[in-house]
This record gives sequence, structure tokens and C-alpha cells, in this order.
Amino acid sequence: MTERKTVLIRYDEIGLKGRNRKYFEKCLLKNIKRALSSSDDIHYSSPRGRIFLDIPASFAMECSASLKTIPGIASFSIGVSMTPDFDAIAALGVQWIEPKLKPVESLKFCVKTRRSEKSFPKTSPEVNFEVGSRIMTELSPRGLTVNIKEAEFVLEIEIGKSEAVVFDNRQPGLCGLPVGSSGNVLCLLSGGIDSPVSAYMMACRGCRVHFVFFDNQPFLGRGGYDKVLSLAKKINHFQTRGTLYVVPFEEMQGAIRDHCNEENRVVLYRRMMYRIAEEIAIRQSYLALVTGESLGQVASQTLENLAAVSCVTSLSVFRPLIGMNKESIITRAKEIGTYEVSIEPQPDCCSIFMPKNPVTRSKIAFLERDEEKIPWEELRDNALARMEIIKVDDLSNA
Amino acid sequence: MVYLDNAATTPMDEEVVGRVHEAMRDLFANSGTPYRIGLDAKGLIERSAESIAGYLGIPSTHRILFTSGGTESNNLFIKGLCFPDKKTAFLGLEHPSITESLAFFSQFGNEPLSLLPFQREGRLDLTSLAILKENRVRLICLSHVNNELGTVNDPLKIISALAKESPKTKLFMDGVQAIGKLSLDPEMWKSLAGYSISGHKIHGPKGIGLLVYDSKLVLNPQMHGGKQQFGVRSGTLPLPLIMGLETAVKNAVSRTEQTQNHLQGLCRHLVQGLKMMQVRLPELKIRFNSLVDAVVMHQSPGMVNFSFPPVEGEVILHHLEAKDIYVGLGSACSAQSKAPSRILMGIGLSEEQARCSLRISFSRNNTTEEIDQFLEAFEKAYQTLYPTFLQKTGHR
Repeated sequence: MTERKTVLIRYDEIGLKGRNRKYFEKCLLKNIKRALSSSDDIHYSSPRGRIFLDIPASFAMECSASLKTIPGIASFSIGVSMTPDFDAIAALGVQWIEPKLKPVESLKFCVKTRRSEKSFPKTSPEVNFEVGSRIMTELSPRGLTVNIKEAEFVLEIEIGKSEAVVFDNRQPGLCGLPVGSSGNVLCLLSGGIDSPVSAYMMACRGCRVHFVFFDNQPFLGRGGYDKVLSLAKKINHFQTRGTLYVVPFEEMQGAIRDHCNEENRVVLYRRMMYRIAEEIAIRQSYLALVTGESLGQVASQTLENLAAVSCVTSLSVFRPLIGMNKESIITRAKEIGTYEVSIEPQPDCCSIFMPKNPVTRSKIAFLERDEEKIPWEELRDNALARMEIIKVDDLSNA
Repeated sequence: MVYLDNAATTPMDEEVVGRVHEAMRDLFANSGTPYRIGLDAKGLIERSAESIAGYLGIPSTHRILFTSGGTESNNLFIKGLCFPDKKTAFLGLEHPSITESLAFFSQFGNEPLSLLPFQREGRLDLTSLAILKENRVRLICLSHVNNELGTVNDPLKIISALAKESPKTKLFMDGVQAIGKLSLDPEMWKSLAGYSISGHKIHGPKGIGLLVYDSKLVLNPQMHGGKQQFGVRSGTLPLPLIMGLETAVKNAVSRTEQTQNHLQGLCRHLVQGLKMMQVRLPELKIRFNSLVDAVVMHQSPGMVNFSFPPVEGEVILHHLEAKDIYVGLGSACSAQSKAPSRILMGIGLSEEQARCSLRISFSRNNTTEEIDQFLEAFEKAYQTLYPTFLQKTGHR
């Protein structure tokens, strides 16, 4: 028989849910199963409040890497089944803790035991003491201390009928809600740093995020398009089953550039992007739009200009980065691995479309007057008809 | 597909592909091993080096090193010879692998001497060379053929001028764009300290190049390891790439004259076409940045660089791309940085002229029909884009 390991997964906010908790649990379990579908030798069980996986030991590394990309998981631990022998459990604990000890600093640890089998002769606190004291005998001279509240290493023991499962230290998950539990949203994705972060944040709120990109070819090369493809792939890694809509935008931009007030251009472009995004969202039953706007970051992101673009759609527009500064957005982008792609030097708009002095406080009435000069409904429908639809799951992992 | 960016890279010859493929499949042994198959590999590499020396007329006073390409060859020679404190000079119009290597010296207080004030039409003005002696310059680094303009620095002329004006200054030349387009006079090796060549610019494989240098010079290795290639350039030799390079050099050199005539024909056809387009389109005002009417001694026939403000080169490039026509935008490296070409600005173009330019570079595979296709697509794109750019610049 191949060696097995047990994985214990703890939920994040699902634990707070009331009667609809089952729904969230099911959703998370489904996402976990999908993420681990590369192995068909996994047994799942979900007793109250937690999920257990029984996996081949050889799959542990891959499993652990996958679980770290699934929103809704608070933390998980990987454990080994063994006979409930205190000496053996303590020896395993020593083996895990020892490499974490540093020459000067102390390490706080504790043992937490749960008994699903109450016939076991010792109570949980007694098991904690038996195992904990054995480990301390071994490692207290090297700086190990006991601290239940602030433990940096928690050795967890689950005692069943004939065996105990001993878990290594907890590994943090992404937290938040399982993808799919909230519904579908459409994120306006540029090649920049911000929009991928906002998409990721919505995925962690249980949304399945789809993407729309407004393409400038042939004024710009395919570089921007390729970049957005790889950003969409990176975000999709946290959720799966996202769709990317690539909308050719040069005709619309050309019309605005040629016929409308130069200073209004950027806001007008954005109003059209929102309208096109809304149309896609309605067709696909997506419930909201998501953007990477952060208040005051650039000329198009003033309160006036945000209001001037939001008012063209009746859908909710979510801007998870609205109160964040650039520095913290960059930190987040680095954490989720999109930063390196975002900073590739690819312009997302050809310079001939950009105005010299963009308006910072646009007036909606003026924008509407500008829009009367172009057949924008027709241009929008043309763009939608030429739109490319890409299932992000199908993109190979280049 | 119409591919007119052969200064960036060239498609591999079928013969080269066959040779590389065969060697990859059959000749895997490490040329540094003492058993028979290793020694066979070593023998093949030595024979390749000898053949290459023969094709290029390299005398036994000079050594051939296989490198990963032009960039490595330039780095290895310049840093290997002059780091950290030997005085160097350059024209300021060279490929970044030269200018950045020299800029690296500045960090150690060894400022290279820029001869940019002495450039004439993108070439070094030979009456200026006394300044090298005054500044005790030990090495001058130049492009044989400029990578954006195609203008030629003639090694023999420079060598004789140096002999008169500054005999202690050695000459290093980047020959990456020259080989296959210009015939190399074997005389030049006598006084040439170093010369670099790249495989992929002559229908050979990427990842292989040559550094040819005077074996009396001591180069400090830039990579340390198994002491291959006289200890100057460590690393297991890529036998298949070397076989491919040998074939590519053979073809490039044996056909140089034929290629030259062919490219000159293409070049004339293109320039003629553009001039006629100017007559048709009064709004089109072309400035030829290459010396399109000059003789081969002054201008490589493989390259035409021209400006056409106010329309930006990059936008034209992508419109041509949509028609499956590929052209160049200065050197590929500066296209990445999105800054206007340092070389075009260096020969005195305004920022707008530099941005509004394209580089067309030919290979022996191109035909006049392809030039016609380019001309037609360029004319259309220019007419479409001109009003937009006029409006844009009108706002300035």
C-alpha cells in the first residue's frame, strides 16, 4: 500500500455563516476538488466545520501548492496517521520543530488535541501534556517554550478509534470566500498594475471574475494583447473558468478622437468601455463591473470623472482599490505574481489617441454633447460583433 | 509574409537547419572529454574553426573564439582587454553591447571618450584621430556597419589613419551587420585587434557568434569555468551551433558579391519607389537617414533608414504587421525602451524625425515584388494615418 497523508483544511469566513453555510461549504469543496483534479486518488470528507483529504504522500507538495491558491481557506495542515503512542508522536513533533529553532530566539509552541473517539483512556488536555512535556524535555534547552495563546508552532493531534493523526504546523490560505459563492463579475483589465489586483481581490470575495480588454491593434502591436492574456491566466489560477473578452477599440477611439473635444477624450473612452462592458455583462448575466481605479491616481480617476463614467451603467461598479495607495497596490501585485508581467514595457494606448491636457473635472452635460457627434451605439455594436472570446482555462501554460 | 527586418535577425538557411539538426541528433559528445567520441567532436570543432578562418581570410596571428553571439563577443573583448582602467573611445553610434560595456567602465571612473562630435553621416571623420593620441586612448570601438543606418566605417582607412595619428590606439570592430554584405579585405586583420560576428544575422543559428582577435593580446575571461577555448571563454562548446555557423559563414562569404548586387537592386527599387510616392503624395516628406546614393564603401546595401514626419514609425509598423509585412524600428533593443533612437538623434535628427522613422533591411531572400508590396502597404497606411498625426502635432 502506498504511504498516505491526511490534509486538514479550515474555512475562513464560512464559519461565520448561518443557515446558508452548507452552500458555501459545498462551493469550497467543489473548488478544492477541481484544483486537485490532477490526482484521482483522493478521499474527501467534511465533518462539521472542516474538510479532510486523504491523499497519497507523494501528492503532498503539489496539494499544498494548490491549496494556497484557493480563496475561502483560512489555513491547512498536512498530517500523518500513526498509532496513538505518545513517544512516537513526540518524536515526530521534535523532527518537525527542530529545523525551525534559531540559535538566539525562542520559539513558542503548543499541542492541541481533539478526540473524536471518547473511549480513548486520556482526555485531550492529558494528551497535550504527555506529548508536550516529551517534546519540551528534548528541545527546551534549544529555546523552545510553551505558549498556548501565541504559539508559532501548533502540533495538532486528532485521535480516532485506532489511530491518531498528527498534523504539522498550519499553512496559511488565502482566506475570504470560495469562488463562485458570490456570483460572476466582469473586470476591465488593462495591462497595468492595478486592474489585476482588483480582479484578484474580487475573486477572494467569492466572485468568479471574467475579463474585458480593449485592444488598440493595429495602432499598437500584439504585445499588449499577449500581456493581458498572461495576466488573465495568472488571476484565473485563483479561480478557474474565467472568460476573457477582447474588444477591438480602435474604431471607437478614432471616432472620439476625430469628432469630440480633445480634453474629454479619456473620459469618453472610459464611458464607452463601461457601456461595452455593461452590454457583455448583461448578455452573460454577470452581476457587476470591476475596475482597478484608485481615487485621484490619474486624471481620469477624480471624483468627478469617476462619477461621469459610472453614470453610464446601471450595474454596480466595484473598485476594490479605491482607497489604496500605489505602494500597497504594488505590494499586493507582487504577492499574487502579476507585477512582473504588468511592468513589461507595453503601452496600453497609442499616443495618437491621448490628449495633451485631459480634463480632470468633466461635466456630464458636455460629455453627452460630445457623444451626440458620433454614432456610438453603432460603433459599440460593431466592436461587440468583432469581439474575441477566450476561455482562460484553455490557454496553455506557456 | 514579407520580412524586411533582416538586420534584427534572418531566417535560417535550410542547409544550416539540416546541419544543426544532424549534429544535434548524432554528435552529442562533450568536446572536452578524452575518449574517442569526445575527441571526434573536438576535431570537428577545430575543423570548423579552420574553415571559418579560411572563408574570412583570418591569419594565424588571430584567434577565433566561439561565443553566444555579437553581444558576448563585444563584451568579452572590450571588458577582457580594457577593464578597469584602460582608456577607450567610441563614436557613440554603436550597438548597445558596445556603448553599455563602455558605460560600465564609467562606474569605475574610466570615462570612455565619445567621438560623436566627429561623426559625418554616421561615420567616423578620420581627420579627427589626433585626439586619440592626446587622450592616450588604447582602444577604439566602432561598428563596421552601423546597425540602424547601414553606414560603413572602412577598417583599412581607419587603420592607416590610426597608424599616422595615434599608433598606440588599437581598433576593435563590431562586424555583426557587415559580414555577407561587404567583402572583407584580408589585409584588415593585420592591424585589427578584434572583430565580432553573429550567426543569426547571416541565416545561421541564434546563440552562436565569433570573436576574432589578435592572439598577442591577453583577454581576461568574463566567465570562469572549465578553461575551454584557451581559458578565455569557458563553457562546453555547442557543436551543433558551431556546425551551423560554419555553414552560414561559408554561404555568406561565398555569395557576398552576388548578395551585394541583389541588395543594391532592392535598395534602388525601394528608394525609387519612395521617391515616386513623394511625387504622388504631396504630404509625404521623406528624409533618407541612410546614404542611399552612396557606394558600398560608405553604405551597406542591406539597409535603408528613412523618416517621414509627422507619422510615427511604430504605428506604421503595426499597420504593416496587420498586412503580414515586417519592418524594423531602429534597433530592436531601443524599440523595447520606447525612447527615440539614440543613433538617429546622434546623427542630428530631431526627436520627431527619429520617432517617425523605419529601418528596412534586406536579405538575399527578398524580392522586388516584396518591395512593391511594402510600398503599396506603406502608402496606404501613410495616407490613413497622416490626418490623425497632423491633428496631433497641430496641437503641439
